[in-house]
Order: sequence, then C-alpha cells, then structure tokens
Amino acid sequence: MSTNNKKLLNAYHVVFLTQSIMIGTGILSLPQKLSSLGYNQTFMPLLFGVIASVTLWPMIWIGSKYPDANLYRINEILLGKWLGKTINFFFILQFLVFSAGIISNYMHLIQSTALPEQTITLPVICFLLLLIYIVSGGIKSIARFCMMTFFITIGMMFFTSWAFQKGEMSHFLPLFNFTGGEFYEAMKKGYLSILGYELIMFYYPYIVQQKKAYKHTLIGIWISIFVCFITTAISVMYYSEWQLKNIEFSVLNLFKAGEFSFVERIDIIGITLWVFLILSSVAAYLWCAKKGVDSLVVKNSNAYLYILAIIIFFVVKMPLSRNFQDKLFTASNYVGYMFIIWPLLLVILYVLRKKKQVQS
Amino acid sequence: MSRKFLCLTSFVVLFLLAGCADKELKVPLEDVGMVGIMAFDYIDEDKTQLTVAIPQYSPQAEQNTQIFSVATDLVSNGIVEIEKLSDKKIVFNQLRVVLVNEELARNGDVLKIIQHLYRNAEVGNKVLIAVVKERGEEMLRYKYPDKPNINFYLNDLLEPSINTAFNPNTNIHDFMYEITNPVLDPILPFIDKNNDKIEIKGVAVFKGNNMFDTIKPEEALLIQAIKGRKNLAPLDINMNQGHGKERLMMDLIENSVKIKSNKNIDTPKLTIKLKIKGTLSEYKGERENKLNTTDSLAVLEDDVNKELEEDIKKFFAKLNDMKVDPSGLSEYFRMYHHGKWKKEMTREIISKLEVDVEVNTSIISTGTLR
Amino acid sequence: MSETTQQVIELLKKEIHGIDDVVIKKVYTEEGNVTVIYISSLVEKMTVQSMIFIPLANHIRQILRVAESVDIKNIEIVLQKLNAGHTLLFFHQLNQLRTIDTYSAPTRSITNTETESTVIGPQDAFTESLETNISLVKRRIQNPLLKTEIRTVGTETNIKISIMYMDNIVNKENLENLRERIDNIDYPYFTDISELKQLIEDNPLSPFPQYYMSVRPDSVSQYLIDGRIVLFMDNSQAAVVCPTSFFEMFISIEDYYNRWSTASLLRMLRFFGFFLTIMITPMYISALTFHPEILPYELLLNLQESRSKVPFPPIIEVLFIELIIEVLREAGSRMPAKVGQTIGIVGGIVIGTAAVEAGLLSNILIVLVATSALLSFLPPIFLMSNTSRFVRYIFILSAGFFGLFGQMLAFAWLINHLQNLKSLGTPYMTPFIPRKATDLLDGVIRFPTKYLMAKKGISRAQKK
Repeated sequence: MSTNNKKLLNAYHVVFLTQSIMIGTGILSLPQKLSSLGYNQTFMPLLFGVIASVTLWPMIWIGSKYPDANLYRINEILLGKWLGKTINFFFILQFLVFSAGIISNYMHLIQSTALPEQTITLPVICFLLLLIYIVSGGIKSIARFCMMTFFITIGMMFFTSWAFQKGEMSHFLPLFNFTGGEFYEAMKKGYLSILGYELIMFYYPYIVQQKKAYKHTLIGIWISIFVCFITTAISVMYYSEWQLKNIEFSVLNLFKAGEFSFVERIDIIGITLWVFLILSSVAAYLWCAKKGVDSLVVKNSNAYLYILAIIIFFVVKMPLSRNFQDKLFTASNYVGYMFIIWPLLLVILYVLRKKKQVQS
Repeated sequence: MSRKFLCLTSFVVLFLLAGCADKELKVPLEDVGMVGIMAFDYIDEDKTQLTVAIPQYSPQAEQNTQIFSVATDLVSNGIVEIEKLSDKKIVFNQLRVVLVNEELARNGDVLKIIQHLYRNAEVGNKVLIAVVKERGEEMLRYKYPDKPNINFYLNDLLEPSINTAFNPNTNIHDFMYEITNPVLDPILPFIDKNNDKIEIKGVAVFKGNNMFDTIKPEEALLIQAIKGRKNLAPLDINMNQGHGKERLMMDLIENSVKIKSNKNIDTPKLTIKLKIKGTLSEYKGERENKLNTTDSLAVLEDDVNKELEEDIKKFFAKLNDMKVDPSGLSEYFRMYHHGKWKKEMTREIISKLEVDVEVNTSIISTGTLR
Repeated sequence: MSETTQQVIELLKKEIHGIDDVVIKKVYTEEGNVTVIYISSLVEKMTVQSMIFIPLANHIRQILRVAESVDIKNIEIVLQKLNAGHTLLFFHQLNQLRTIDTYSAPTRSITNTETESTVIGPQDAFTESLETNISLVKRRIQNPLLKTEIRTVGTETNIKISIMYMDNIVNKENLENLRERIDNIDYPYFTDISELKQLIEDNPLSPFPQYYMSVRPDSVSQYLIDGRIVLFMDNSQAAVVCPTSFFEMFISIEDYYNRWSTASLLRMLRFFGFFLTIMITPMYISALTFHPEILPYELLLNLQESRSKVPFPPIIEVLFIELIIEVLREAGSRMPAKVGQTIGIVGGIVIGTAAVEAGLLSNILIVLVATSALLSFLPPIFLMSNTSRFVRYIFILSAGFFGLFGQMLAFAWLINHLQNLKSLGTPYMTPFIPRKATDLLDGVIRFPTKYLMAKKGISRAQKK
C-alpha cells in the first residue's frame, strides 16, 4: 500500500471515481423510489445534482484545510482522539453494512434473474474475492477500474433506446403536478441513489490537483446525474404511473423492451454487466473501511482487508430473517445521509476552534 | 506477496467449491420444456382451464407439440399441476403467446393472470396476448394440416406484419401499461378458428379490467392511425361520394397525425389532423379510366378525405356511446390537468368528446402502368 | 626471455586439456618461432589460412602491426579470448602474445520469417547470430545515435546480449530500470532470449506477455525509432522490445504498409477477435445451462435437438472439445510439416464429424469451437495467442459455475488484472488509458500515415 503522502490521483481519476461510485444499485430502482411524484419525477435527478453540488462544497473545504489528512484523521484532530476514534469506528461499521446492503441487493437481483434456483453463497464469495483483488491495488487501481467501468458500461445506454422509441413524450406534462408530501417522500427515498460522492473526503489527500478537485468532482457528479436523468426520463415515457410504482427494478424492464436478432433478452446481459458498477462502488467503500481500520490500529496489514471482506460476507449471508436484514440495510441507507451533514458539523467545529485560537 | 496468495487461494477455493456446484441441480437445455403458448379458458368464477403448448424437438415423436391442460384456480398452481404431467421441467423463458378466451376476458380476472406473468423475471417482454372467440384449448389441440407447429404459427400470425396494420400487437408490457394507465383502455387482437386456419377477426376492446366489445379491423385501423402508427397499409376504402359506389385500395402508406386539444375538461374538443401519403394500388368504380391526370387524382384525393373524415367521425360517435378510449385521446387533456387523473375522468371526457377531423390524403402514384 | 612464453604455453596446455578441437601449430618465421593456437570449431580453415598462416609466412610485420597484444601473464583473459574464437600467436623470440579475432563459426543465412510473415514489406528475418541481427537493424537506422551496449549474462554460459536504443529518444529512466534488472539477474544459463524476458518482466506470474517479441528487423527498428529499448541475445532469433502495451500485441508491422482503411479493419478484427475468442464458447455454456431465454426460439429448438443425444452437461462438452483442439494443435506442431498438415485435417474432420455423429458433441458447438480456435491465431504475437487460449479456460470455468454472471466476474478480473499490469514501469493498458491524445490516432483505428508522426505515450520519449 502506498504511503499517505503520495499524490496518486489525477484529474481523470477523480472524475471517474466520483462518477462510478455514485452509480450502483441505486439507479436500478431510482424511478420506483421517486414514484410518489408519478410522472413528475423526470427532473428530480437534476435537483439532486444541484443539492449534491452544494453539499460537496463543505467536504472539499474541510479537506483543503487538511490537505494530507483523510476524514478519519480530521475527526481525530477536531474531535479529540477518543471521540474521533469512536466515531471512526462507527464510520467503518456503516461502510461495511452499506456495502453489504449493496451487494445483498444486487445478488438477490441476480438470483431472481440470471441465476434462478441457485444459492448465492458461491457467487458472493467469488464476488468478494474479486473485490479484495481490486481493493488491494489501492485507490489508484480502484480509480482506473472505475474509468474502465464507465467506458464498458456506458454502452448500456443504448439498450434503453427501444423503450425510448416506444415511450410517450406527453408524459412529461403537466409540470409541477405534485404536493409537498409527495415531494418530501421522493426526496427522502430517492436521494440515496446518488450518494457516493461524499467519499471524496477520504481520497482527497491522494489527489494531485487539490485546488481543482471541486471542479473535477462536479464533472463526475453531473455525468452521473445526467445518466440518472436519462433513466428517469425514459422510465416516465415508457411506463404508466402504476408501473412506475410497482416495478422494483425499472431499468431491468427498460432493457427488456429491446432485442437483437441474435440476442433476445438484453436484460440478462445488462444486469450481469452491472456487476462492474457494483464492483466499482463497493470497492471504494471497502477501501474507505480499510483506511478506517488503518487509522484505528497501529500496524497496517493487508490481513484487515480479508477480515473486512469476511465481515461483509457474514452480513450478507447472516442467518437472520430477511426482514431484519432489510431493516438494517434501510437504516444504514439513512445513516448514509449523515455523511452529507457531517462535513458541515466539522466546518463549524473548525471555525469555532480557529476563533478560540485567535482569542487565546 | 499478498496478491500471489490471493490468486492462489481463489483458484483453490474455486476448484474446491466446484464440487459443491454439482449439488445445485441445473437442468440442461435438452431436459427443459419451453412453453411457447399458454391458453386460459373460463370454467367458472374461480377456476380457469390452463393449457400450455410445448414444442417437441425429437424427430421420433409423432407430434411436434406437447399439449397439457389442467383446471386450476391459481396460475402457479396450474403450472405445478402441469409439471406433474410432463417429463420435463417447465420453464417460461420462451413464452411467446398468451391466449385468453372471450368468456374469461368478459367475466374473469385477466389482469391477475397477466400480472402474474409480468412479475416473473423469466418471462420476457415479447409475449403477445390475444383473445380467442371459442376456447383456447381447442385452438391449440386442433391439427392444422399445413402448419408444422402451432407455436410458430400463432406467434407469426400475431407478430407485426405489413398487411395487418390494424393489429395492435399488444405484448405483455403494453397490456399492463394500457390497463394501468387511466387514460387508456387496452385493446387486444381477437382471433378465431376458421376451418383449418386461424384468423384475426378484429380487435377486442376492454373497458376497465374486462372485455367490452369487439370492433372491426377497419375501425381498429383508425385507432392505430390516431395513435400515430407510421405505416397503415393497406388502406381499404369504400366510397360513395357522388360517383356511385367506388372501392379503392391504397398501399405504402405513410401516416402522420397531429392532435390538438382545447385543454378544457368540461367541454372537451379535439382537432385531429391526419396526413396520409400513399400509392393507389387498385381502384374499382366509375372513374376507372379517368385517373391518369393529376387533376382527376386531386378530385379523388378530396373524395377520399371526405370519406375518411366521415368514417372517423362515425367511429368517434361509437366511442362516445361505448365510453371507452382505446387510442388514448384523454391523454391530451391529462397533459394540461393539474392534480391526479382518474379513470372516471377519462370516461366522462370520452362521452362528451367533440372531434374535428381534417384528413389530408395525397396519392403519390398509381403504379407504373399508365 | 623465451622461457616465459614457453611456460605460458605449458600452463595453457594444462587448462585446455580435454578440449580436443584446439589446434596448436608451430611456425618458423622471420621473427623466430611462433606458436599458433586456435579452436578449430570456432574458426574456419579458410580464415586461419588467409589471416594467419599466409601473412606469417610472407609479411609478418603486417601481423605485428595489426594484431592485438595481450598481457601474457593474465591466463584468464587468454583463455577467454581463445574460447571466443580468437587465434593466439606466441612470438617466442619477441616474448609477446598477440591475438587476432578469427571467430568465424558457421551461421545461418538470412531467410524469410515463418512465424511473422507478411504479404507486403521486407521479408528478411533475424538469425541466431547477434552480429547479423545488429547489422540488420543498423542497416535500417543509419544514425550514430543508435547505441548498442553489449553485456554478458548467464553465470555459466557467458552469453552476449545487446541493449539497443536511440540515445536522443529513449527514456533514460526506463533504460536505467532495464539495466538494473539485467544486472540483478542471477541465472546460470540462457538458451533463448525468452528466458531472459521472463526474468525481467514486471509481473512474472501474469499470463500476459509484457514485452513484445519479434523476429522482424523492420518492426524492431520502428519501435527503436519510437523510443523503445530492444534486447538481442546471441544464439536466439527473436528480439525483445520493451516497454510495450497490451494493444501493441495486436499490431502487425504490415498495418503500416497497408492502406489505412484496410489496416484499421484488420486491427479491429484482431483486437475484437481476442475478446471473441475468450467469450464464444463460454457464451455457449451460459446460454445452454443458465439463460436459454437469450437465444432466439428457433435456434434453441435446433440446439435442443442436437444436444438431446449428448450425455454430459455443456461445460464438460466444451472442455472435451477444447482439449481435443489443443491436442490437435500440439500434435500438429510437433509433427513433420507434411505429415502434420494431413493429420490436422484428418483429425479435425474425422474427430469432429464422428463425435457429432456418435452423439458426444452438438454440431453447433463444433462450429463455435472451430471459430474461436481460428480467432485465437489472429494476434501477430504468438505468445498472445497462447495467452488467449489460457484465459479462455478461466472464462469457460466461470461460465460453467455462474453463467453470464460468472463471465462478467471473470471479465472484471481480466480488466482489473490488465490495468494493473506494467511493462517496464509503464501501464500496460495504454492507449486505453491514454497517456497522450496522439496515441488514439494509432489505436484500434490506424489513421493515415501522415498523422502518425508523434511518438507513442508508452515509450515516454524524451521531449525535444
């Protein structure tokens, strides 16, 4: 593993890291999550993009104050050693449960579409082995993987063209036909899908051009937002409101609309190719968890990576009821919002401290 | 070092686990019975007769299609019953056609059946749905002397083709889309066995979740025209516009439609502009020998316009009575309506709807003979 | 005085005891007795005659002027010279030892290449002689900045290798890196340069070749001009080019001789052929075992019919036929050329049709396997075609476990593996992770020749 002070990530790496982490399982069911708005969900991703751009700013700002420290380190500096470490520990737990949630969600989808009547134990093990392989290459290797992921999977946009042809443009109208309650509901459930850009706080110290990091991250965010926007737009055109509400993985059914003369079901190819997107985002989360462990213990060792992967495996395959699992993953999703608010808190703390220092 | 270790362990794990994989019974392709057609027939309120047709590949077998039929209350239960009868594992990933008989469509719960299939990830989107006049089971069991396989026959018949532009080609997604969309009423092709052939007799129109009526192909073609289908060939017109009885057939039709609404729900009014471009392929009537100048063709075009306008108006009058909206006209009012749209509003609009039709036909050519 | 030479000769005779092809001759000349020693297997008779004996008899002054003088007491050097094919001349009267390089071991003449043949372009290929190879390159690059460093490797064999580079273009860091790697080799003997290549690769465990190997002087000189470093070894035909990228494994020098449109077409074919060859047969397994729905109905019924007689699952079926193909290949390459061809055809046709008729295999699979076997021969670099065969087995196994999902996992592995590979410290995946925008001009599509002036990003050439 490279040392902390090494700058590894160039502009392209930052753009595609941000972009690929944001697109995971979330976008698959984004139209369903926004369905309380009905046909008016089309422009929600754009709104999310604006919110993300605004909330990104404190993250970059706090990072620029400590150019060589990741969030774990900043926590320890600003909150004191013990409080910081406790919080870091919770961060690690959150990352593990969150990644387990993504993996479990995707694997169940795979189980119901591509691998029916099979247990997912073995696929999960293989997936995790591959994940470890990617993460053990360090953040630069993950960034490169994200880049390749983008170029390999962007072709899937073409798969939605059949649905686009069949869809009705008139569904976009009328604009702004919703109530405040519906909007709140969609906001609460939908924003999850674009989480992932907050990890910038962890790989910020590795960026070469830290001054331009905000711009590069923004480009990444808006690429993802654009992809989300196309997804919701085509879904709105293609589905009825009932379908938007009741089809869990809308993208999957969008893929189903198409066919080639030699391949009749594109959805299977699309959903298995999706593993790239899942790998790239989970790899980043696991890497962050690994960094967290590094900050807690004295000795760095790759063995922790294996331990973390084993923990994820047990969370995914835990012998508890599916109901409990679902609740846990939903909870961890909402805890994910904490990362949006957390940097604000740190900024306030930082400013208070500065003031104190000036006074004393 | 750790990477080498990782590579090694993954290989070892994979090979060790290869042993476990055998336990997960994977049925190879040749032991799978791929259902091509499902037919649902009405028995009583709770029960339906489920019939499936499975193509048989073995050249030794006497029949090339296996047909199984059971009476059942739930779809999945019926499938289990059929598995008991079959030597193979029944899968639905190549399902192509779902037949529903008229009685079931009128009285039973079609939505539930289709929804069950729609939920199944195995079933693709290519499943075409049709309403059968008599019994679906009979249609499947009948020996069509010149058709090798009922599976391909029915599928090819229902698929989009040039000369059946009136056929809505409703697939499983379209049906779900139309039935759950408040501005639309689903339409399905209506087929019947005619001696040794199967024929698309017309189109079955649903009202709510049940079949309401059937309409003739000529009228169904108007639905497609208003929905914006690009190719409407062949257009068959019976005219009586001051030149005695005339009959003409137009081919290679390009169609474009523009619809404007007055955005008023209480006094709904639509202006429909239909542009039709095509070649005159056949003509029978008084003017048979006079159609070689552009002027005479322009007169004919005007007559065709008038005739089509009348036809469309007549059709809308019928829709007003039936209170169904198969071509989704109320969408043009929903677009401008704030608040939730309900099915009742569609009914109300369609019963009150006034239509202004303007057809603009242009005959490009009359073939290569003068 | 003359005793010293006599003593040295005695000492030498002890050292060369058992080397029976050493010739020791005494010649009486104007300058007194001269003892001539050489190894007859390394020196041709004609050469000795014309370079040594005739001048000795006629104008000995000339020899004394020309011949290199060697410290007579340093027996090690004397022995080394002798083993390198020099002729030793002991002038007893003058008490001097002179040597003349008479190395003239028989070499092969320059012939056509068989492994990398092209239709257009020069047809000469490297031979096993280091001098010939270097001369073949120097003919093409007549520039004093083309440097040739000669070193010896192999602790027991003392084989000469040569590092060639353009001094004004090559990246010095790369050069230093390579020299260091060569210096750190501790390996007793080399019989071919490919052994050396494996020892200095960045990741020796990877199935992918990380340096380019070629026997074509034209392609080697082209890489030299681009700023790469080329390694030659005495007694081995191929030259090693480093660093190189994954994509360059699919580039044939003929691409530059063809028109750009043809060249681009062929490149696309080779490059996507690689992915096809590793994907076709796994796809068959996935489609048949896990996802029959992705195939058209008619094709599926055909498949069902042809599979109905096959007793084992698709994965075994595929492994079986793939192994047969491997056996055919291997047997064909070991057999004498004439027999090999017939056996190949007989084996292919007889085993293929018979297996289908016996119901061991489905006929569609035979088509797929034959296609993928042919596709695997597309890369101009033979090592790459071997790699594609190996990688295919990984894909076959993973498809056997999890169908398309397994294939995608394996694909993700492949991508991650490739992008982490390095060739002499430079990422292997350029130009897909482009280091320079101009790399894309010579990527999957080869742009017209006038746009190809820029050096590739991977060679990290010195900036002018």
